[in-house]
Amino acid sequence: MIKFLLKGLVRDKSRSWIPTLVVAVGVMLSVFLHAYITGFMNETIEMNAQFFNGHVKVVTRAYADEISQIPNDLALLETDILVNQLKVQFPDVQWFERIHFGGLVDAPDSLGETKTQGPAMGMAVDLLSPTKNEVQRLNLYKSLVRGNLPQKPDDILISDFFAQKLRVNPGDTITFIGSTMNNAMAYHNFVISGTLSFGAMALDRGAMIADIEAVRFALDMENAAGEIVGFLPAGFYSSKVAHAMQSDFNKVADETDVFSPVMLTFEDQGDMATFVNLAHYMGAIITGIFMLAMSLVLWNAGLLGGLRRYGEIGIRLAMGEEKVHVFSTMIYESLMIGIAGSILGTSLGLFFAWLLQTYGLDISATMKGASIMMPTVIRARITTADYFIGFIPGVVSTLIGTALAGIGIFKRQTARLFKELET
Amino acid sequence: MKKISVFILAAIILSAFSNQDASEILRKVDANLSSENRVFESTITIHGRRGSRTITSKSWSVGDTKSFTEYLSPAREQGTKMLKLENQLWIYTPTTDRIIQISGHMLRQSVMGSDLSYEDMMEDRKLTEIYNASILGRDMLDNRDVYIITLLAKVEDVAYHTQKMWVDADRFVPLKQELFAKSGQLLKRVEMKDIIYVDGRWFPTTMVYKDMLKQGDGTEFKISGIRFNQPIPEHLFSKASLKQ
Amino acid sequence: MFLALKLAYRNLVGAGLRTWLNVIVLSFSYVVIIWLKGLMVGWDHQARFDMEKWQIAKGQYWHKLYDQYDPFSLTESHAPVPQRFLPFITEGAMVPVLVVQASLYPHGRMQPILLKGIPKNQNLLKLPVAALDTITDAIPAIIGTNMARSAKLGKGDRVVLRWRDKSGTFDAAEVVVTDVFATNVPAIDGGQVWIDLEKLRQMMLLPNEATYLSFGQGIKEIPEVNEFVLKTQQELTSEIDVMIKTKTTGQSVFYIILLLLAMLAIFDTQVLSIFRRQKEIGTYVALGYTRQQVVMLFTIEGAMHAVLAAAVAAVYGIPFFIWQSHAGFTIPMDSSDYGIAMAQTMYPVFTVGLIVSTTLIVLITTAVVSYCPSRRIAQMNPTEALRGKIQ
Repeated sequence: MIKFLLKGLVRDKSRSWIPTLVVAVGVMLSVFLHAYITGFMNETIEMNAQFFNGHVKVVTRAYADEISQIPNDLALLETDILVNQLKVQFPDVQWFERIHFGGLVDAPDSLGETKTQGPAMGMAVDLLSPTKNEVQRLNLYKSLVRGNLPQKPDDILISDFFAQKLRVNPGDTITFIGSTMNNAMAYHNFVISGTLSFGAMALDRGAMIADIEAVRFALDMENAAGEIVGFLPAGFYSSKVAHAMQSDFNKVADETDVFSPVMLTFEDQGDMATFVNLAHYMGAIITGIFMLAMSLVLWNAGLLGGLRRYGEIGIRLAMGEEKVHVFSTMIYESLMIGIAGSILGTSLGLFFAWLLQTYGLDISATMKGASIMMPTVIRARITTADYFIGFIPGVVSTLIGTALAGIGIFKRQTARLFKELET
Repeated sequence: MKKISVFILAAIILSAFSNQDASEILRKVDANLSSENRVFESTITIHGRRGSRTITSKSWSVGDTKSFTEYLSPAREQGTKMLKLENQLWIYTPTTDRIIQISGHMLRQSVMGSDLSYEDMMEDRKLTEIYNASILGRDMLDNRDVYIITLLAKVEDVAYHTQKMWVDADRFVPLKQELFAKSGQLLKRVEMKDIIYVDGRWFPTTMVYKDMLKQGDGTEFKISGIRFNQPIPEHLFSKASLKQ
Repeated sequence: MFLALKLAYRNLVGAGLRTWLNVIVLSFSYVVIIWLKGLMVGWDHQARFDMEKWQIAKGQYWHKLYDQYDPFSLTESHAPVPQRFLPFITEGAMVPVLVVQASLYPHGRMQPILLKGIPKNQNLLKLPVAALDTITDAIPAIIGTNMARSAKLGKGDRVVLRWRDKSGTFDAAEVVVTDVFATNVPAIDGGQVWIDLEKLRQMMLLPNEATYLSFGQGIKEIPEVNEFVLKTQQELTSEIDVMIKTKTTGQSVFYIILLLLAMLAIFDTQVLSIFRRQKEIGTYVALGYTRQQVVMLFTIEGAMHAVLAAAVAAVYGIPFFIWQSHAGFTIPMDSSDYGIAMAQTMYPVFTVGLIVSTTLIVLITTAVVSYCPSRRIAQMNPTEALRGKIQ
């Protein structure tokens, strides 16, 4: 029976090709849109995760308590061992040591005395390792306004706005004054390799990024780091995965030692939970509305499919086929069309979403220029839901449409069939 | 009955003479503590949440306007020099080979994570210039007979509006000091120990500072080898000497 | 032309459920696109609205040395409120704020903060200043949820505050948190404590002084008044505008997809119409219609879906939009921090421009999509078509 119906579908292009195509296009749009919305809605989350919060973050218990004040005196020690441990326990997650630090930046005049001075916020990341993971993660290359990325340990990137305020240029030396993790005064000369646009005034006023090894030396933090950030293998934040990791990691943590490492999820930091919540709801709402519209369209398509075959059904009824049988074969056929269309559509949708996830949509043309906190590339994000979400409108709505069209079958009177066919 | 009348009598006498006596006490304290010039080596021990750190330095100062400090250890701080002239502060560090001016707002920051700010360290005015004193009573502290005096600011630009000071009744050296906010809230407590007699004056060589609002063990400031009225070359107090 | 319209209308209505499904889908697209766009505009502007409601009102005057990103500027950046502002302050159209640096000692740890004084009777800004009017032995203070979280403080908690008055003399007192507010404006939340302005002026020995003033509707904007410089609302929100632009570009993809979806329905319908109504097409040609006229007829018929849809959309859409823009769209939040549920209510913004442009875009797109399959008519052989022969 199924074989027979399939043959019919394959051989009669008008019966199969157009409806399948319509379903496929619809499903493709659903899948693509869902992936796009997920990516779009999580953009703020990802940006904050990449720059500040990580998907997960390991810090000392004491540091976590005062995290808003970036207390480096409470930093993690022996981070090489800890990073290795993390890599063993969570092999798919990318781990990076980072140090946030604050202090003064002092620019010298020609005599080496203070010319200008300003408060600065710094972040130390691994800039020099050959993988350039962090350079890409922070979108440094695109955000560069003048000069180059750091090549040497003492190279530093500072915000372009800040550089102008201090009246310094790439190539100039600046002195950082802060405090070491032992609360001693820290002084270090950095060479400005380039200037950056952060895209957020609070950062543009005095932010800088340096290589972690130089900062460790400057802040007397050998083999220490304020935090170790982890990024999930999917490249996107998942509340479930992060929380599972957290409970896994923290169950062995020593509750009594304030310097023992603890894991924080993205949501544990600041009001990021609100962000995650908001993105989740907005995504769900838009998807819901779209699914409803999609269902109506495919329902309509199913209905149209039924109408297309008005004549054929008339003949079949005239030849004595049971109405119930005609109806059920139509339902079966639409089921096949729905499934075939959904499979095709899901594949296409996933393909396009994958393209957009991998390459991103560059909207920098509409913007003044790229910056770190203002991503100009919008990416889709494929989640497990994308693999089945298209089947709901794809199969169910097609079935409903066909069923509605099929009701007509029962209304038709055999006696009038030939008359209808004559016209 | 007899005891009570003695007490009342003592109280009357005390209140009558207290202000004059208190100023006298404060003047004597100043005579011990402040000087035309001095040279000393000191050790600061800062108790952090992860252990303690000790920094040694040598300082030269003249009056209350000029001072020069060179850090001797640990290795990280060695060769770092600080010059203070009036209200300005410059720091030189050999690692950066730079002279950096520390401006107004930075002066209020704590020095090397201690319970002292640069401003605290730079406050060298005589107590009698800033405060009016009155006697609160007498007591025993660390087996020493002490006057307890209260100091009330008579000028506006002063960090601590009131102080309570336990002054050794014999040597006129403060043994304990409590620093209060205008509201009366206790902010800091300083304990002076290891009093020595040097160049005709009594001087405390150990001071423990404790920020009373904060948890922690405070900051210990120990002086070794203090000398008063030494010949100090004038050129020491110039930016040029920072780099030498 | 009129005949074509009439015919198209008859044909459409005669097709029954099929047409109505299309019309419903299309009308749905209208409403959803407009609603979503309005919601997004509302959401984007929420940052600006919130900033206006909580922080800047219609604009601000800043002390010329005030730099919101440099706390060190605060020691210098205050001055007596200019005479000409005083009547506005009395009538509540202007709110002076004094900002100073201070230290808070929650749980024995020192936390540097910004201490802000705001009149406890103001109602220009949304800050719950009424809570500053509490009679207590400590200084009543309000803080935001972020501050509450980072300092681990809640309503009713007491904490020591230390500050230095204008001459640098230390002072300290206990403050009691009388309210914790939830806001989307980080600039008034993290690392800050709000107390009554008069109290702060007394504490600082800075009578009548302010760091900045926020003003409401109807205050004439003058570039500079004494030591205070005008910051227009536009200047103050410029950063948000850039963000809105990024978002808007990203959102346009939704509308395109939603429109594509509606067009899929129209296209499908048109293909079927032409396929099923060949005899009719043949008849039109036989009756002397040119092929172009027939194409036109079918295009109008397709495009009329959009017109009908607009009418249907108006019937349920307009009341819906009106209701939405007033009631807002509330997203329930399960954040139970400090007992404050931060309900995110977004107020969609529907402008005439938005509605007209959306309608036009849908109409034009529908016409184009209807036209494409109809072109096939032009290639038909009328006699064959008249006989109902499928081509």
